[in-house]
Amino acid sequence: MELHLHRVDYTQVGVTSQKTMRLLPALGKKATQKVAIADQDGVITCFGMKKGEAVPVFKTLPGPKIARMDLGGAAGTPQEKIFVCSGSQVRGFTKKGKQFLTFEANLTESINAMHVSGADLFVCASYIYNHYCDCKDQDYFLSGDKINDITCLSSEKLPHLVPVLACQDRVLRVLQGSELAYDVEVPGPPSVLELYNKDGGQEVLYGTTDGKIGLVQIGDCAAVTRWEIENEKKKGGILCIDTYDITGDGVNDILVGRDDGTVEVYGFDSSSEPALRFEHVLTESVTSIQGGCVGKEPYEEVLTATYTGWVTGLTTEPERAEAVQGEEVRMSKETQCKIEALRAELEQLQVKVLQGREQYQQTSQSSTAVSAVPIFSINDKFTLCQDDASYSLTLEVQTAIDNLLLQSDVPIDLLDVDKNSAVVSFSECDSEQPNGNFLLATYRCQANTTRLELKVRSIEGQYGTLQAYVTPRLQPKTCQVRQYQIKPLSLHQRTHSIDPDRPMNRLSLVGQFSFAEIHSWVVFCLPEVPEKTPAGESVTFYFHNTFLGTQLEATYCKGEGHFKSDNISTISILRDVLSKEATKKKINLNISYDIDDDSVSHTLQMIHPKLEYQLLLAKKVQLIDALKELQVHEGNADFLIPEYRSVLDESANLLEEYKKQPAHLERLYGMITDLFIDKFKFKGQNVKTKVSSLLDILDSYDLNSLLDFFNEP
Amino acid sequence: MMVPIFTLKLNHKINPRMVAVGKFDGVHPCLTAATQAGKVFIHNPHDRGQRPAGHRLSQSAHDSDVSLLNINQAVTCLTAGTLGPNSTGDTLLVGSQTNLLAYDVHDNTDVFYRDVTDGANAIVLGKLGDISSPLAIIGGNCALQGFDYEGNDHFWTVTGDNVRSLVLCDFTGDGKNELLVGSEDFDIRVFKEDQLVSEMTENETVTSLCHMHGSRFGYALANGTVGVYDRTARYWRIKSKNHAMSIHAFDLNGDGVVELITGWSNGKIDARSDRTGEVIFKDNFSSSVAGVVEGDYRLDGQKQLICTSIEGEVRGYLPASKDLKGNLMDSNTEQDLIRELSQRRQNLLLELRNYEENAKGVSQTNSRMGVIPANTQLQTALSVRASTEAQKAHVELSISTPNETIIRAVLIFAEGIFEGESHVVHPSVQNLSGCVRVPIIPPKDIPVDLHIKAFVGGRTSTQFHVFEITRQLPRFSMYEITEDSSAALPAGRVSFSINERPQRVVMWLNQNFLLPEVIESPNVSFNSLRGGGCMSFHMASNGQITLSTDDIDLAGDLVQSLCSFLAIEDLSVEADFPSYYEELRTTLTEVDEFHSVHQKLTADMADHSNYIRNMLVQAEDARLMADMRTMKKRYRELYDLNRDLINEYKIRSNNHNALLARLKSVNQAIQRAGRLRVGKPKNQVIAACRDAIKSNNVNALFRVMRAGTASS
Repeated sequence: MELHLHRVDYTQVGVTSQKTMRLLPALGKKATQKVAIADQDGVITCFGMKKGEAVPVFKTLPGPKIARMDLGGAAGTPQEKIFVCSGSQVRGFTKKGKQFLTFEANLTESINAMHVSGADLFVCASYIYNHYCDCKDQDYFLSGDKINDITCLSSEKLPHLVPVLACQDRVLRVLQGSELAYDVEVPGPPSVLELYNKDGGQEVLYGTTDGKIGLVQIGDCAAVTRWEIENEKKKGGILCIDTYDITGDGVNDILVGRDDGTVEVYGFDSSSEPALRFEHVLTESVTSIQGGCVGKEPYEEVLTATYTGWVTGLTTEPERAEAVQGEEVRMSKETQCKIEALRAELEQLQVKVLQGREQYQQTSQSSTAVSAVPIFSINDKFTLCQDDASYSLTLEVQTAIDNLLLQSDVPIDLLDVDKNSAVVSFSECDSEQPNGNFLLATYRCQANTTRLELKVRSIEGQYGTLQAYVTPRLQPKTCQVRQYQIKPLSLHQRTHSIDPDRPMNRLSLVGQFSFAEIHSWVVFCLPEVPEKTPAGESVTFYFHNTFLGTQLEATYCKGEGHFKSDNISTISILRDVLSKEATKKKINLNISYDIDDDSVSHTLQMIHPKLEYQLLLAKKVQLIDALKELQVHEGNADFLIPEYRSVLDESANLLEEYKKQPAHLERLYGMITDLFIDKFKFKGQNVKTKVSSLLDILDSYDLNSLLDFFNEP
Repeated sequence: MMVPIFTLKLNHKINPRMVAVGKFDGVHPCLTAATQAGKVFIHNPHDRGQRPAGHRLSQSAHDSDVSLLNINQAVTCLTAGTLGPNSTGDTLLVGSQTNLLAYDVHDNTDVFYRDVTDGANAIVLGKLGDISSPLAIIGGNCALQGFDYEGNDHFWTVTGDNVRSLVLCDFTGDGKNELLVGSEDFDIRVFKEDQLVSEMTENETVTSLCHMHGSRFGYALANGTVGVYDRTARYWRIKSKNHAMSIHAFDLNGDGVVELITGWSNGKIDARSDRTGEVIFKDNFSSSVAGVVEGDYRLDGQKQLICTSIEGEVRGYLPASKDLKGNLMDSNTEQDLIRELSQRRQNLLLELRNYEENAKGVSQTNSRMGVIPANTQLQTALSVRASTEAQKAHVELSISTPNETIIRAVLIFAEGIFEGESHVVHPSVQNLSGCVRVPIIPPKDIPVDLHIKAFVGGRTSTQFHVFEITRQLPRFSMYEITEDSSAALPAGRVSFSINERPQRVVMWLNQNFLLPEVIESPNVSFNSLRGGGCMSFHMASNGQITLSTDDIDLAGDLVQSLCSFLAIEDLSVEADFPSYYEELRTTLTEVDEFHSVHQKLTADMADHSNYIRNMLVQAEDARLMADMRTMKKRYRELYDLNRDLINEYKIRSNNHNALLARLKSVNQAIQRAGRLRVGKPKNQVIAACRDAIKSNNVNALFRVMRAGTASS
């Protein structure tokens, strides 16, 4: 079934946070719904559409940044009370805009997730969960990692409410009172939760920051995963989900908004498997999504709000071009009025801005005045992509970006991203002191670029900071710097469990350090570890290397730390960094290690299929051009041996595959060399002189000769 | 939304920029393109399978509409069009590194086949100036050559560097075509026959040129820039991270004015308005675009825009019909306009908020915000720095703040002097200060605008004020003035007299050199920081100017710059560059040597091929007579001979490359001799040099270069 939706822009507010737009329930006979949206200027706008024009119902005064919005109301009545949270405060408004509730949660941190259900209020602020009933404290929970979102199961069947937390460490935590009932492992860090059935039920939809979506059934003591949608096309992370029957087949469809601007509608086929029905790409992050009817009766639509505050509908209403001639003229008259009004407003603004500019210029004459431009908001994300083991950096600004300067004090590779139209220029840099720059690159953006996506490839063991200086096209010109840590084990990712049967190398530390100290060292070395020291006496984290597939287990407590990995290079890096960090704090460490010689050949065997595949691919790709020429020369390819003919047949795929993984082979070679050096380093031998003969062996690669070379004394 | 009216998959790769449409039988247009293995394919869907194979032409095995033409050499350029006065159809012209072939596809015969020693990197067909017959003009290594239908060479001149693109257009508006030449030294030169009338300097190799209408033409550079010139003034340009593979002028929206159609390396095709550069249409191929041409491919009397990709995909687009109202993209203009206006409103509101917040003042001293005194102004200074042990000689740009604020980073955007388009200075945290010194080493003597962006704030700020300043680097900035007049003057010398007051010359010196302080007298000496030795400038009271330098290029640049400053139209010059002339003399002897070696090697090769033929016959005879021993022996000999041949080929190709390099430097010498003069004397010198070379009169050549004329 094909779904055709047309885009209509309704209005624009300030920069919006995730899940800050809701549709109010329809009133009486009218099918059109009002839209409530809150932005980071603290303004809540409620509007309805009348003849293609956004008519405000109410608008509040600016205040602190609003992080979430939810709708609520007494059980059994329409859910039309608007709740917003800003800082540690929750406020409630009626649909007319009258404030009826101000509630100070008295949390030290700002609330970043909220759920309202009847008289119950659930709020989360980074690690803390709080439940209030009628504004009275009920339950409290401290999570092991940051809480990204919260939802709550409620139905008559359940004896009590079941809150579900989406936590950064790739689990959904299901609570019972102040206690953890159980947790549900999900394939990526969950960023958003939504009830599948708004009227109840126990199914919860989740979306992850790496773009996966899933449905889990929350049971009493365990959860069952119904289905998962992988992110094969490498689209952006999920920011918002809603369920609504837009296809009109009687089953709720899933509406998804992503941080790369993609809006998707998933329907269900006869076997109840989700299938993509519609896709549209907006130019900026989609922060909220709702299904309903806003623009015109009786056309249903998908309403979205984007980062810069655009409220856009994707409506089932047929496009105007199909309308009759007369109607078209009338419609354009309406838009004409709209354009006129806008122009008039612009002119007024222009005058005001000119005055502002003049005043600003005048202050430059004074010797006491200062110039301080308010900080503009940048929406950024720096994440490790699992499939190509590289980091992706996305930057989004409210206005067009003029240029971007990237600076790094570690050697990293900047990769080209097709979507990105900015002109990149690499500047010569002096990697030696005093300035220590390994990368200096400028991106000059085309007009109207508000979002930039970059890819960065790091090398494990080399750590430092990547800095991005963003200059938007806004007077007076300012630029803001953002810093991103490249950690020593940058290619590692948290995982739920590891394979215990692999041969492992062990590294143990004993010394006079506190639990917090060793935790801070681990945070320094590895990504995706919560900054807060975990509760309890000791903690264990599992990681896997996204490039090689090797694993790492870190267990530590006060005065003691144990690290296990099948990759000797990982252990070597950890040893170097940890001892350096300890020395910085003047703590004496007693380091011992236990090297399993089998682990090296085990790692090599893990690399083997990857290496072999890459070598074969490189060889085939090299042949393609020559074979094609032969084919043209001879008129056909029948005379070739089948192997070559298959290369010709698959040439397009091969080339694409080859293009996808630039420098893959070099990276593998680098890791094998590291492995070789590290293996002998633990034995106290320096084998740097032998590296050239190792490279010779790699050039004419054969697993056995490589293994032999590693085992040579 | 506009969609292609036809799409073809040709199963042949297409070499970039080597695509043409020709009506070889006078009626049916055929898409012609160079492909792999030294072949050219001709796609003729109109009369199937009626052509005889043979000679060069053969039918493609897997597509009956395609015939293949064997060139047996890597094709470097290709075009089709009317060349002969009474041929029925178009002639196909194919250039390679050594030859130019004019071919009649319809009759399957060669029209002519010429050796071109300078190679053919680009080709254009048409009428030039007053020359009566249409010419096939090829551009090679520093040389331009035009052939008529009989293969006679009617036009020859030299240009600054290897030619990469050519187009014919009426640049001066006199009703006759001029030749526009884009070359690897980043220049677009305009030739009125063999007279150079204009020169535009770009900042990268000029890879494509196309005529739009009137005196307007489009261009593309190797760094991803495309744009439009009207005469010598640039209308607009845009830069992309992709490379423009092919540009073409075509009226796609049917408004009577052609648009610039660009095919990009990422497979994108876009049409831009010739006035503003605004995109009015775009489409995407799955692989890089190879060429963009036009032709009436459906034989319905309407021209189509035909785009081809390197994988052999072809798409044709008809000009848009009236009812699309020029709106070729699938967009809602009203919605877009509202969106744009809203965006502008949002921007203004933000700016206003900035001023309001600023006026409120900062309540608390927020160090992150990067508060700076409102009267902060950046000081910039340019100065010449001679080389020291630590650093090479450079021009120093120093940027400093007047107060305790620091400069976090400096970005300089400038064209043609950095590797990319920008240069960044980012001191480490320990070395932050209110002053940044940027060494700049411009590789060429060109005036450059430096667009400086400096991030100014406090030490711990995360937000900085951006100061944007533009400074101009004068043309001759890598020269340091010296007081030391005792040093021996260089032997190279240019002298000429002008009718100007010395003050004007002093003014020129002050504007074009980076001087620590304004000079008063026109008699000055400079040291070249690029290691070119010393250069001295002397003007006598009678207007006689003497330039002493051993660098002939620099002398040329100085003469050109001075004359354009003083608006001198014609200038003849006495020029003596003993060491350069000596070098050139050696080069000329080397050219002769390489020529004779070349001939000898060719003769040897002919011998060998005869020998091979004999040997092969003998070997096969032996095989038929079952004399295996003799056969083996013969084949072994054949194998040895083959190896020798390969070795010889290598020698030959080395010899050829060396010869090409020498020829290029000879062509450059003529160009340089020309650049020392302006206007008519310049063209006379080039013509006289060329005559001297043609008649192999080396002494006359030097006489011309020295005095400007052969007769003396």
